[in-house]
Amino acid sequence: MLRSIFYATALAALVSAPVFAQDLATPTGDVLLTVSGLVENTNVDGTAQFDLEMLEALDGEEIETSTIWTEGTHTFKGVSLYVLVDALGITGENLRATAINDYAVDIPISDAVENGPIIAYRMDGETMSVRDKGPLWIIYPYDDDADYRSEVIYSRSIWQLDRVEALE
Amino acid sequence: MSRLKSSSVRARLIAFVLLAAIVLSAAIFLSTNVIRDLRLLNSASSDNVQWTLSQTEVEFLEFEMDLVTKLRDPEPDLGTLRREFDIFYSRITTLRQASIYAPLRELPDFSRNLRIVQTFLDRAVPLIDAPDAELIQALPSLIDLTADTRANVRRLSNSGLNFFANDADQRRQAVARTLTQMAAGVSILIVALLMFAVYLGYLNSQNIRRRAEAIEASRRMNIVTGTALDGVIVSDENGLILEFNAAAEQIFGHAAKDAIGRDLGALIVPDHHLAAHESGMKRIREGGERRAVGKGRIKLEAKRSNGEVFPVEFAIQSAQTDEGEIFVAFLRDISHRVEAERELVMARDRALAGEKAKTDFLATMSHEIRTPLNGLLGNLSLLHNTRLSAKQASFVKNMDTSGKLLMSHITDVLDITKYDAGKLRLRSVAMNLSTLLQDIVDNQSGAASANDTTLEWGWIGPRVDWILGDPDRIQHILMNVIGNAVKFTHGGRVAVEMSVNGAPDADPVLQISVNDTGIGMDPDLQAHIFEDFLTGDTSYERTVGGTGLGLGLAQRFVKALGGSIEVESEKGEGSTFRIFFPIAPISPPDVTAERRPGKKNLRPSHILLVEDNEINRVVAREMLSGAGHKVTEAPNGQVAVDLAAVNSFDLILMDISMPVMDGRAATRAIRAGHGVCAKTPIIALTASAMADEQEAFLADGMNNILTKPLSQESLNRVLAKHVPGQDGAAPDAGNQASAFEATYLDDLRDTLGVGALKSLLERFKQEVDGTLDFLNDPAGHSFGEIASQAHRIAGSAAMFGATALRSALIEVEQAAKRKDQARMEGAIAVLPEVWRVTRPLIQPE
Repeated sequence: MLRSIFYATALAALVSAPVFAQDLATPTGDVLLTVSGLVENTNVDGTAQFDLEMLEALDGEEIETSTIWTEGTHTFKGVSLYVLVDALGITGENLRATAINDYAVDIPISDAVENGPIIAYRMDGETMSVRDKGPLWIIYPYDDDADYRSEVIYSRSIWQLDRVEALE
Repeated sequence: MSRLKSSSVRARLIAFVLLAAIVLSAAIFLSTNVIRDLRLLNSASSDNVQWTLSQTEVEFLEFEMDLVTKLRDPEPDLGTLRREFDIFYSRITTLRQASIYAPLRELPDFSRNLRIVQTFLDRAVPLIDAPDAELIQALPSLIDLTADTRANVRRLSNSGLNFFANDADQRRQAVARTLTQMAAGVSILIVALLMFAVYLGYLNSQNIRRRAEAIEASRRMNIVTGTALDGVIVSDENGLILEFNAAAEQIFGHAAKDAIGRDLGALIVPDHHLAAHESGMKRIREGGERRAVGKGRIKLEAKRSNGEVFPVEFAIQSAQTDEGEIFVAFLRDISHRVEAERELVMARDRALAGEKAKTDFLATMSHEIRTPLNGLLGNLSLLHNTRLSAKQASFVKNMDTSGKLLMSHITDVLDITKYDAGKLRLRSVAMNLSTLLQDIVDNQSGAASANDTTLEWGWIGPRVDWILGDPDRIQHILMNVIGNAVKFTHGGRVAVEMSVNGAPDADPVLQISVNDTGIGMDPDLQAHIFEDFLTGDTSYERTVGGTGLGLGLAQRFVKALGGSIEVESEKGEGSTFRIFFPIAPISPPDVTAERRPGKKNLRPSHILLVEDNEINRVVAREMLSGAGHKVTEAPNGQVAVDLAAVNSFDLILMDISMPVMDGRAATRAIRAGHGVCAKTPIIALTASAMADEQEAFLADGMNNILTKPLSQESLNRVLAKHVPGQDGAAPDAGNQASAFEATYLDDLRDTLGVGALKSLLERFKQEVDGTLDFLNDPAGHSFGEIASQAHRIAGSAAMFGATALRSALIEVEQAAKRKDQARMEGAIAVLPEVWRVTRPLIQPE
């Protein structure tokens, strides 16, 4: 009897424990991105903060596409929004992305799909300065899907990104 | 008609569908246009762009404000200043590079200001990127630069705003235009749909009407077939009944509900027709010949539910339906009709039997009248040959004339009876037209000269003397017409003209016209001239006499010959009768070749006369013996058969109706037996001369028929025809040539050869010599021995053509048989003289 209660409790504890690949490291370089709000996995003050090294440690993804803001086709490398949401255990419905100049836009969590948007940190292999819309830029695969060539998606393609807040 | 209609409806439907498709595709096209425009509105970044343009100015101003703040701050945070600058820099880069601003960059005002702002950035970058101390140092000049550029940044924003305002206007107009087009398209579509709906409504109402009509037609059809008097049965090609109307129910006794679905053959076809029915249906299914379908009315038998088989008349037609071929049979119960026909046939048969009874009665009556009349005339003839006073002779002549007239009337009536009964038979013998006409003219010339009239005849065109024809009938016709002409012409002229004409490919037609200058006829009389019992002018009746059957009979004969007779006459001027009939001309027979030398010579014949009526028998006997013939008499057929078995006759004259054994049975008995006379010609003597009876006589074995009363002429004709060596003239016993017929010897010589004939003749001569010695002593022998010996030698004499000897021997035989001593001795006395004449003639070479 006692033994069975013990097993049940242990099983419940195991099941309810958050399952992450690894605990989030603490940034050592300049913080490029701060994720706050409904985030399970955090490192600094209830937020998840990333420097370039930490971002590059996550599974990277490349998108080769043109954009309406640049000339020609470029290769963007970054973290898929889908991977980030998964890695951080984000439970909200919307991601409010805010730029350095406080320009903010809401991205529904439903946009975070495989082969969907990425938070790009390199363009054509180079990191991006603020003058070049860096350091982070949300890029959708515009050339791959006509649905990504709409005004709404263009408005969500925020550049000079430095904060994301997960909202209900 | 309906197919035409439905095809036009189909064409219209197709047109509508096409139209609808066109309108629909137009609507789809317009809709995609609208969607595209909406998407353009959606995806075009004009709003965002405008925001970006305003943001350019905002970010510039933020930078400028920060710059001013930093100038006043003794220890300024240059990081924010640099970030504001970078943000603005980034914005301008976007304006310079972004594809969506390409149209904007085309604007001279925009591009000029963009270049100026870019120049500002290029100058500021070294200052911003310089170390903090230098930047602080450069802040005032940076403020000046910024102030100089502010107006350009503002113009940059505004020029873009104007452009996008215009652009938005154009877009709105394009969308409005597209929407208008679509509205128009949709309107057209709606109108088209409305029209289509109206048309469909029209079609629907038409269909409803047609359906109602079809139902009505079907109902009418059902009424028609239901009330039809004929049974109507519809079956499929397997013979299963599909429909069975009320009349069919009544005829066959099956209810429609029971009949439908059953096999036609099992239901109504009688068992003995079933196999034919099945094979017929099979043939139809296999596409073979159709013997009943579409062949009009057919009479057959059918079967009722109670098994009764009755006659039925039916017609079958086939029709193609969606379910395959069907057969429609219209049947009529004709049992009543068949019954009525049967009764009609019976009635007709009874009527025919009645008619035949009448004809038979007439024939019998004529026989019964002619037999005694025959006797009367015969006895008159005999009376005439006795010694009479002049007065008595005149009475006898008158009686004879009246009797002959009566006889001719009876013959006429009989001929009419024969013709009307269809029993008139025509002969076809070689005859000479000219001779015939000459005979008639000769015959009538006496009467003509008595009337002070000339009578003449002749050919018009080529003569055709010899033809194949029936001389008796032709003579009868001409005798009648010419006789009439002579009768009714006084002190005038009667001309008979014959001519032959006709189409080359048909039989030539003989035309005989008899033209007189007599009393003529009025048209009324002409119209009836060929009717029976017409005697013409009654005032002449007494003088000319006649039954009034003459021309009626003449016309019948002409018709029987395949010709016609017509008359043309004018009262008081005269009449012309024209007779036409086809003839078959032949070449003249070779008369000389037919007759051998000596044939002309006469010899007496031995004739067996079989006749029960004593008077008739006496008359006939007198005629024959008067002509020099030897006559043996028999009162009935049985006696004749007995006589013929042992006696040799040249000819047998056989009456038909007799007691004990009639003539026909006697003839058959003689022909069937092996008596002496089995091959002797037998001539029927009859008063009844109906054609069918005559045929029966010939079938019995008779050779010819003599119609009573007998005449010398007809007797001679028959003898000439059937007895060798006779040509009808009276024989002369004393004639040397008649004692011997060389033809017999000629034939024997041809058959046996001279040598054999010679020995035969020698033996014959010895036999005759022996017989003469034998007969020299008649008293020493019995009658039977004498008769037998005479008969034997007579047969031999006949074989060698010693006719006179034969006759003499037969006379001896006959007399011996009759035990007539005196006659026998007389006959024997003649023999040596006959033999003396004959003996040298019998030579083998």
